[in-house]
Amino acid sequence: MSLGTAIAMKRGDQAHGTILGKFLFAACIGVLLGLFVTFIVVERGKGFGAISAGPWTGWPRIGTSDTDPYTRAILAYSGEMSLSESEGMSFAAHGDSNGAEFDSACDYVVKGEMPSARYWTLTLLSPAGAPIVNAAGRQGFTSSDVLRASDGQFEITLSRHARPGNWLPIGGASKFILVLRLYDSELGAPAAALDAAQMPGVVRSRCE
Amino acid sequence: MNRIDRLLAALLWLLGVLATAGITHIAAILALPQIAVKGAYARISELAKPGQLTLLPAAGANNQVMPFADPAMVQSVCPFDLSQGGLRMHADVRGGRLLTFSFHTSAGQVFYSMTDLAAQQGKIDIVVLTAPQLEIVEAEDDEDEPSQDLRLVAPESQGFVIVSALAAYQSDRAAAEERVKSVVCAVEHIAQD
Repeated sequence: MSLGTAIAMKRGDQAHGTILGKFLFAACIGVLLGLFVTFIVVERGKGFGAISAGPWTGWPRIGTSDTDPYTRAILAYSGEMSLSESEGMSFAAHGDSNGAEFDSACDYVVKGEMPSARYWTLTLLSPAGAPIVNAAGRQGFTSSDVLRASDGQFEITLSRHARPGNWLPIGGASKFILVLRLYDSELGAPAAALDAAQMPGVVRSRCE
Repeated sequence: MNRIDRLLAALLWLLGVLATAGITHIAAILALPQIAVKGAYARISELAKPGQLTLLPAAGANNQVMPFADPAMVQSVCPFDLSQGGLRMHADVRGGRLLTFSFHTSAGQVFYSMTDLAAQQGKIDIVVLTAPQLEIVEAEDDEDEPSQDLRLVAPESQGFVIVSALAAYQSDRAAAEERVKSVVCAVEHIAQD
């Protein structure tokens, strides 16, 4: 039986306007479903064209004029002012190099290669993008103020408790993310792939 | 009504729901930048007037103008409304310190950006214009002495410029603020015919 015959038979069966009710019901459910999906997409904040390397994820097209409608909607919703193409690139990490989510009871060590950039900054933020208050008044490190070993390498320790060297305090936050920004970087919008070895690793050390 | 009929009716109903959901979703995504309550331009025009460079307060846990801002960057904003004339930006670049400019539409989308590396002889001169204003300005150009200004055509008449300077050390913050404040942002009168 064809679809048309089925509709015709159905119309014959229900002559008392229940069909209109069904249409309205379908429309309401559809609109609600559409808005719900939109909300989920925007709330999760995942646009197209992400590149990842190890724990880091970046959106190279976000600061250009040809962003996709999803990215535009996500940016409008979060109010984030992303780095533009010629300023640099930013990457966010929500977990360590093994893929486990950050746990504020643990210490983490950030070390390894940095992609070439004029300056970089590494910042601890809440998942909503707010700074995390801590008694030490430090929210991040820059390529200038990080303490380096004689070979130019550095290690930044994330911990609730004071640590020697480059200590980035987690403070009282239960959840946090790391944001790495590369200013005047050679990684531009054309960067479609990135090697994890080019980016610093985030390694979990001891936990409380 | 047999079972196949009912199955087909349910399927049709489901298709209807999915089609409506899809259309709603696409419409909502496209409309969001226009209707976002905490849209960039709305928040910025609460803080600054068009043609005035205003320093954004350093982000605290409860007061932040822009989420995900870099705490090491000192940021200032200059909204523009090209219906009142062009926007002129001038900066003297010294000492090779990072100074960035990004030009946004009212929905927050970037239409141009540059850093101090793009300065010509230590100076940055930019004029933001609408397309008709650009024609007027170009008609007045002196051919023997071409203008050194970088002329940008904005895709819409309202928008804002963010000027940021990096405080490479925490003690550098005051110096970075000075660098940002030294940037001139002003309405440029364009003679109409």
